[in-house]
Amino acid sequence: MIQNSPDTVIVGAGAAGLALAARLAQAGESVVVLEAGAQRSTSDMISSQIWARKLKWSAAAVEESGTHPVGHAFNAGSGTGGSAAHHYGVWLRLHQEDFSVQRDHNRSLDWPITYQDLKPYYDRVQDAIGISGDHVAEVWRPPGAPYPMPPLPVFAQGRILDRGFQATGRRTAPLPLAINSVPRNGRAPCQFDGWCDAGCPIGALANPLVTSLPKALSAGADIRYDAQVIRVLRDSNRANHIRAVEYAQHGKRHQLVAKRFIIAAFTVQTSRILLNSSLNKQPAPGNRYDQLGRYLTTHPAGTIFGLFDDETTPHLGVSGGQLLCHDDYANKGQTGGFGSSQWLIANAIKPHDLLGYGTSRPDVIGGELRPWLQRAAKHLANMTLVVEDISSPDNRVTLSEVRDDAGMPKAHTHHDIAPEVANRWQQRIDEGEEIFRAAGATEVWHGPRVAMHIMGGTVMGDDEKKSVTDTFGRVHDTDNLYVSGPSLFPSSGAVNPTFTLTALAERQGDHLLGTPVNDALHA
Amino acid sequence: MTAGHNRRDVITGGAAALGLFLIGGNQVWATPSQAAARNFTPQILTQSQSQALSTLAEHLVPGSAKGGVSAYVDTQLKAGPNSLLMAKYVGVPVEQQKGFYLSALDAVASAISDKPVAAVAEAMASDTVPGWQGPPASYVFFLLRADALDVTYGSQAGFSDLDIPYSAHIRPETAW
Ligand SMILES: Cc1cc2nc3c(=O)[nH]c(=O)nc-3n(C[C@H](O)[C@H](O)[C@H](O)COP(=O)(O)OP(=O)(O)OC[C@H]3O[C@@H](n4cnc5c(N)ncnc54)[C@H](O)[C@@H]3O)c2cc1C
Ligand code: SF4
Repeated sequence: MIQNSPDTVIVGAGAAGLALAARLAQAGESVVVLEAGAQRSTSDMISSQIWARKLKWSAAAVEESGTHPVGHAFNAGSGTGGSAAHHYGVWLRLHQEDFSVQRDHNRSLDWPITYQDLKPYYDRVQDAIGISGDHVAEVWRPPGAPYPMPPLPVFAQGRILDRGFQATGRRTAPLPLAINSVPRNGRAPCQFDGWCDAGCPIGALANPLVTSLPKALSAGADIRYDAQVIRVLRDSNRANHIRAVEYAQHGKRHQLVAKRFIIAAFTVQTSRILLNSSLNKQPAPGNRYDQLGRYLTTHPAGTIFGLFDDETTPHLGVSGGQLLCHDDYANKGQTGGFGSSQWLIANAIKPHDLLGYGTSRPDVIGGELRPWLQRAAKHLANMTLVVEDISSPDNRVTLSEVRDDAGMPKAHTHHDIAPEVANRWQQRIDEGEEIFRAAGATEVWHGPRVAMHIMGGTVMGDDEKKSVTDTFGRVHDTDNLYVSGPSLFPSSGAVNPTFTLTALAERQGDHLLGTPVNDALHA
Repeated sequence: MTAGHNRRDVITGGAAALGLFLIGGNQVWATPSQAAARNFTPQILTQSQSQALSTLAEHLVPGSAKGGVSAYVDTQLKAGPNSLLMAKYVGVPVEQQKGFYLSALDAVASAISDKPVAAVAEAMASDTVPGWQGPPASYVFFLLRADALDVTYGSQAGFSDLDIPYSAHIRPETAW
């Protein structure tokens, strides 16, 4: 076990951090991962929506403001696997047009790379992790290798909602999921019980505990838990070089010196650590032009619910959904609002908890409740809307005046929704209700506008005056400090981010290991 | 993960679903419903707050008083940073939960002391409780109803009542 001065220190044992830990350790580097949360194994993934809350972020709460707060408490996890330990495995590629929103629509930021740059990495990751889906039925899908596994089955809820999409002239396809539909890579196939939010202990769903963690550990990576990184420290002789990280563990402060540092602490905490690293009036790394923490984005999302005469068996399937519709994705500028959007159709659903159907109807109480729940348990259907956000410099992470128990300033996030994005959300919600009625729903309602996924804050770009890192995630004014994760996204698109952040981490891996970008693909 | 591992229901979750409750002067490990049946003494809530919670929750979600909603909330508030109350997702971080619940339940207790619970619940839903002093009443209504749903329908027994197969990978304790 490495005690000190490893080649690379990675902050955060989540989706990005563990993917890079595995990649670098397998290439022979010494790697230490510092993780603020607890060590977890698949046996901690108890099938209960109440127990699932243990997997969430439980350190210092983030202070939030704005007209559409980012919902850190729901959207972030901690401990082995990070938020990804109980993510739903909806793995979608960004579309080609997501990379040029500024150029095409004079909004958000452009990515410094194109879909073509990322495509080989999407393909490589898809093969390594395993995705179930039907690339032919997904007529909107950008170019890429076919999925390595057939799609998961569509149950009654999906078939019934599909009627509404067909009746309103829309197309659907099986939802691509990083969930095994067949045994693959030593991992079991899905059992369609909808417990994904509590974590998938059988390993059907590609959470880092069953994908990158075993690889990182067997290649010798050293993962230290309850180790909260407070800041990075510059080398006193070379201002552009980071010498060490400072972290708090069991009430004590430690420093760890290394050749290279990768901050992969998920969007808000990554900005927090970097912002907290300014010393003696020197700007924080990546912040010479006051860009650090800016362009924070989150997907405005919402759920449509409906009751049907048909039996929908809504407990069957996976939390992420059964079908996908991207018919409205490409037309970001369509009248009525701004932005791409997608439908994740027929999510497996439970009666209680924040996303449960019982919670969605606070008006049903008393003697009416039990019969209503009994009906919903058999006849309810639901689907989730995800809308693109517009990146704005005013939506940002800053440091609070208030400090946590370790003496580190808490994070504050401010996020306002642009009126044209709010309009797009409402437009799609209205359309979603129409789709439900066309499918034969006897009663239709929708949940509130919520925040799903958190991106930005350390966005990548070619110009230091408008970004924090280069295209490989290297913080501009440093030679050995990197960021990995969705905080790199200059714009949000309207798809779930984990496939893209994993493809970016794979691309970073090539860069860090000196593999000419793309050459490894042919190895 | 072992190769081809395909387990369902093979492990039972640890005992954390149980809580330590003060029953008859002794600290006893029990589930919230057992604690409720044995007249537990709340340790964070006052008797009046605990009673107000049970009364309102039972009106909103029948079965939740017997299910131990007051014991559940009391034990989660006692857990401090490890609280599993849904409140933390919707704007009440764990460090603020105690203050939130105490003031919310004082307001409920005061409201139901001179009006039938049905009238109070209706007024809470529309934020029209006369003299209400506490966090917004409709928000309190939403959260307490969600807690009552957790206790009543978030368990294997609750799923059976709705005729839904629980189909656990790893079964929780039978607590709520
Ligand atoms: C309920 C839910 C469902 C989701 N479903 C999907 C889905 O279907 N598809 C999809 O694409 N995405 C989904 N996501 C989002 C996905 O989980 C995240 O985008 C992804 O995990 C981000 O990866 P990351 O590595 O950046 O962060 P994480 O996976 O969150 O890992 C970051 C790690 O850093 C640690 N950390 C933070 N601060 C510090 C510090 N100071 N010191 C040390 N360690 C620190 C954290 O404890 C955490 O373990 C879902 C998220 C949630 C919560
Ligand atoms: S439904 Fe499938 S992916 Fe979700 S927890 Fe169960 S087996 Fe895992």
